[in-house]
Amino acid sequence: MKFKITRDNLQQGLAAVGASIPTRTTLPVLSNILIEVGEDSVAMSGTDLDIAVSVSVPAEVDDPGSLTVPAKKLQELARELPEHPVRLSTKGDRLELTCGRAAFRLNGMPRDEFPTFPAVDFTNSWKVMGSTLHGLIRQTSFAVSSEESRPILNGVLWQLGEDQMRMVATNGHRLARMTVAVSAPGAPRTDLIVPPKALAQVERLFGSDDEVEVARSENHIGFRKAGTQVFTRLIEGPYPNYEQVIPKDNDRFAIAGRNLLTQALRRMAVVASDQTHRVRLSFTTNTLRFAVETPDLGEAHEDLEVEYAGEPMDIGFNANYLLEVLRYMPGEDVKLTFKAPERAATLEPVSREGEPVPDYLCLVMPLRLLD
Amino acid sequence: MGDVTLPRPIRRILLLDCDQFFVQCARLADPDGAGREALLLVGGSPAGRGVVTSASYETRAFGVHSGMPTAAALRLCPRARVVSVPRRICGEKSRAVRAVLGRFSPLVEAASIDEAYLDLTGTERLYAGESLHDTATRIQQTVLEETAIQTSVGGGTCKLVAKLAVERAKPAGVRIVAPGAEAEFLATFRLADIPGVGPVFTEELKRFGLVLVADVQRLSERALSELLGEGRGEWLYRRAHGVDEGRVHPEHTPRSMSRDETFPHDLQRLADLERELLALTARVGADLRDAGYRARTITLKIRDADFRTRQASRTVADALETDRAIDHVARELLHKLHAARRIGTRLLGVAASGLVPAGDAAQLGLFEAERALETDRDRRLDRTADAIRERFGRNSLKRGGLRG
Repeated sequence: MKFKITRDNLQQGLAAVGASIPTRTTLPVLSNILIEVGEDSVAMSGTDLDIAVSVSVPAEVDDPGSLTVPAKKLQELARELPEHPVRLSTKGDRLELTCGRAAFRLNGMPRDEFPTFPAVDFTNSWKVMGSTLHGLIRQTSFAVSSEESRPILNGVLWQLGEDQMRMVATNGHRLARMTVAVSAPGAPRTDLIVPPKALAQVERLFGSDDEVEVARSENHIGFRKAGTQVFTRLIEGPYPNYEQVIPKDNDRFAIAGRNLLTQALRRMAVVASDQTHRVRLSFTTNTLRFAVETPDLGEAHEDLEVEYAGEPMDIGFNANYLLEVLRYMPGEDVKLTFKAPERAATLEPVSREGEPVPDYLCLVMPLRLLD
Repeated sequence: MGDVTLPRPIRRILLLDCDQFFVQCARLADPDGAGREALLLVGGSPAGRGVVTSASYETRAFGVHSGMPTAAALRLCPRARVVSVPRRICGEKSRAVRAVLGRFSPLVEAASIDEAYLDLTGTERLYAGESLHDTATRIQQTVLEETAIQTSVGGGTCKLVAKLAVERAKPAGVRIVAPGAEAEFLATFRLADIPGVGPVFTEELKRFGLVLVADVQRLSERALSELLGEGRGEWLYRRAHGVDEGRVHPEHTPRSMSRDETFPHDLQRLADLERELLALTARVGADLRDAGYRARTITLKIRDADFRTRQASRTVADALETDRAIDHVARELLHKLHAARRIGTRLLGVAASGLVPAGDAAQLGLFEAERALETDRDRRLDRTADAIRERFGRNSLKRGGLRG
């Protein structure tokens, strides 16, 4: 293979794929990037066997061909190159690169050592706007579990309905659910459980205005637009019945300014225990009092004005869970609902003056308080 | 009025470390036997199983050191006498030393059975201008007079410097690093000497040509962060310049609780390992409940017949305290490690870390019933069993798999 490419295009292609290439791997070829040279463009691909990413960048091609080379080294090199056209060619399993007056040879491995991408047939694909995917992914994927004990919770549930799409994620302690009214003709009515790492790539590589084509095979799902493709393994198994744990009878509620609530919680979190992050929330008429007590460290409390008209109630939370959820909550005000100190609390954006708000709900389970 | 900032007092931290603590205790326990023996190894058995917990200075001339298999130590120093760890007197002496230290400062942190940090910051006037070196010497003499335990003392402006200084003070010495001289003092060490720089990190640093602390001192913080990533770069930069803001915590929450067992013969069968594991997890569980903690991380350690040590750990969302749950997690780890390398097992260990006070660990779950590793019922069961053992003895009640 032999081609000429601008330094910027080379950097851009490598940066797009680089994030999908594992740094530590038992299969050496996986730390390589696959370069495939076609008629007038160069495709760069990387995979960790679960997720595969491929992008094409324009280039002046002399000879088509392919090779795999260490991704990290090539990326570091591209970063340091002077602003000149870059010429790349192969000699056996080595990549030769010249730029200005600098010349490099990198040892590579032949293309056939590189794993093939999962076969996803795009014949029965459906289309989603990038902006829709961005919203769903951003508002939910933070809530997935990082624990290995229940692999199903390591994924984001993507529910495709008649005229809506929904993503749900939970680690068993807190949950985020986002619903968007949108119809995707041709989309199957099904539930998919997608690894968040793949969704992060989708969020990164597809723009808001892109129309993203999506298709699935039995065990994989693919996202693509011209010049960019992301494939991922799906997580198998039934997702737990999350509808059942979303409280329907929470009869106490408070409305608070999201920023003020966040700032107060952040202050409390400093003094909260490093292990439990426990903070006590005491609601009385129009006042929310936060309190923390950490035996080795100290104590803190703060009062915040909120809308609350229910019976006085004390409830404990992991401050980090609340802060996380508040970070993704849209709008200026947030509505919290409760039933009892040991029952699930919900947080939702509040509509002001009839403005529409996103259909977004977060649920946080309390920490038991010790009295 | 402008802001008034008070100068931060210069910290005065000491680490008092008992010299060859187990050897001293063994000699005190048996003055006419071990007490007269220059070549003394504590820990393991004369048959050569187990490891040296502590080796007398005289045996160290032969290349013996603690942590070494007793059999290997005996090959180097065949005339050495091996005695087991005198647990009772070790506990008594450890408490006695700490009681003396408590008279010198309210801030005493027992870092292990034979070493303790003291924070003397702000005591300058109390000690009437006495230098830190003189105070350290006085503490050392008082400990020797009242407990018969010989110690070494290191000191400086932080725990890290005190820890490294005590290594230079041994045996029976005092080494104080003056404020401002930390970097110069650190420059005399290898990076691997810094606590927290383990074998894997050392190898990684070596690949960048970084072996001595001085190698790191030559780099800017930014350069180091580019090599190692921001968090680790900053951490190492501070350590290399002798900066450590860790406080001296009295009544420190323990970092971990662990139990291990070296077997009389290498174990080959998974079933045998599982049985031993059940006993170990029960001991760790009892330790946790006794101290009032739950653990979020369970680590399993295996030492293979060829002395390679491997470990695996798992962190769970809800902290654990029951034998059943700890055994469940540890057993999964055992299966993983056992499958990875089929070889006899010499030692098995279980550690519980990420400790939280038991009453603090009450995060409620969404899908409780189907996922919990341990339930309130399990906890009540174990606590009842503990109460029975407390009353009728440790062997009065055992789990099914451990009978016989």
